Amino acid sequence: MSVEFTAVTFRYPGSADPALSNVSIALGERGSITVLTGALGAGCSTLLLVAAGLAPHVTGGDLQGAVRTLGENGTTKDGRASLAGRVGTLLATPWTQLSGMSFTVWEEIAFGPANLGWTRDRIDGAVDRALATFDIARLAERDPQTLSGGELQLVMFAAVAAMEPVLLLLDEPVQELDPRRSDQVYAEVLPTLAEQAGIVIATTNVDRAVDVADRVLVLDNGRILADGDPAPILGGSTMVAGGRSTTAARIARDAGFSEPYPLTVDALIQRVVS
Amino acid sequence: MTAFRLSGVSFSYGKGPVLKNVSLEAAAGEMVALLGPNGAGKTTLTRLLVALLHPDAGTVSIGSETTDGKSPEDLADRVGYVFQHPDQQLFARTVLEEVAFGPRQRGVGATEAHDLAMDALVHLGMHTARESHPYDIPLAQRKLVTIAAAVAQRPRVLVLDEPAQGLDRETTDRVSALIREMAGEGVAVLAVSHDLAFVAETFDRVLVLTNGEVVADDCARNLIMNPVRATDLGLRQPDAARISSALDLPGAPFRMHDVSQALAGRLHPGGLQ
Repeated sequence: MSVEFTAVTFRYPGSADPALSNVSIALGERGSITVLTGALGAGCSTLLLVAAGLAPHVTGGDLQGAVRTLGENGTTKDGRASLAGRVGTLLATPWTQLSGMSFTVWEEIAFGPANLGWTRDRIDGAVDRALATFDIARLAERDPQTLSGGELQLVMFAAVAAMEPVLLLLDEPVQELDPRRSDQVYAEVLPTLAEQAGIVIATTNVDRAVDVADRVLVLDNGRILADGDPAPILGGSTMVAGGRSTTAARIARDAGFSEPYPLTVDALIQRVVS
Repeated sequence: MTAFRLSGVSFSYGKGPVLKNVSLEAAAGEMVALLGPNGAGKTTLTRLLVALLHPDAGTVSIGSETTDGKSPEDLADRVGYVFQHPDQQLFARTVLEEVAFGPRQRGVGATEAHDLAMDALVHLGMHTARESHPYDIPLAQRKLVTIAAAVAQRPRVLVLDEPAQGLDRETTDRVSALIREMAGEGVAVLAVSHDLAFVAETFDRVLVLTNGEVVADDCARNLIMNPVRATDLGLRQPDAARISSALDLPGAPFRMHDVSQALAGRLHPGGLQ
């Protein structure tokens, strides 16, 4: 597995309550898409930051237990250096990930590959592939500072993917996108990226994520509440009652269906018609 | 009574027009959602309303006054603004201070400002974090702090850029309830959102902006329950509405609760046991 947590507890600086409590988990296998969900403050973003080696290194705070990411220890300088380019992290705040050193979107996407010491030809190829995968070639010559919120999120996602990481940690990767773009990410981009990488998506909205999820991990108050196949977990009344499931499941429960509730509109309609 | 109005507004950041001859107005107490594809000019439009930007042509008015020559500070007692990204506007040392800042700037006394701030925080379930530093709480909760701050100013016009972004369902419902309450008190609300499900649950009127032009201005039902038109406008019919359309539920409901009720009626004609 790409990420292995053993009894991990993490506290942000100045915070008495742990953001993660005694979490032991293995995830991120290449070719898989894991969806991490929970209420606000459940610890999903924190889990990604710890897996990426960004917490506590960048955030500060106190980490107990053991974390191995792609076999490396992200709490050490050597471990983090070895993870550069192999782990791609898209934060929920894509604007904080801009290099600030690029005049065009093309250069912004090239920034990561260039810093990995790739040859010019390899960088060109990687940037062009990323522009094509995300269907943003028309933005290539734009100044990143002038992009809209949604355009910027796509560009930063492309910039992360251009480094060809084998593990992608994505925090709310479609939250700034319009419906057409977020459909495109779920239907085309994520399956393409999953051919080469393990993908972990943290999101509070699982309506579309269930279409691609091989596995769902539900966090509550820094602990793992459920882990496994999405259909039985998110179709159970606990998750639906807690607002952690899909719109279709909530409607099915409120309409008096029996468990497990259907997770998608199509599954719900199927149940009614048959 | 008109709460805000754009008349023939055009705007450009330099290269090509972002807004082209946009006219729209909203009455006091009206709730308007602004949708459209990425890069359509939605955020730009909201910034014109709060005088962070000024139009190249046309006029923007709040109440009976134009924003011409005015700064956001001049309008702060009338227009509350919530940025798309909370980090663009947070600066105080505690959540409570942040939310009380607006009223204090308007000259409201410390006690009353505290009460206004607490009231807004309680509505959003954020009062327990009142002593936290705004940057010590998760991003989505920081967004709630900025919404509380705008509400605590008791504005006549409330402009929200993606208020439901990154929120879980329970919190989204709180934001919806607060918006409806504000509108009930006569505040005109304009919210940018990509989330048509959130829009469907909350807003009566929907505007669609594409390439800097208003291409639709209609009641939510007409857009949401017409899948062909919705798709043409680049909108995705919310899941509740898709269920309603596919099963041809009586009364063509499109809000989650109404769809559940109609579906229950279909499944259990004698009523739920």
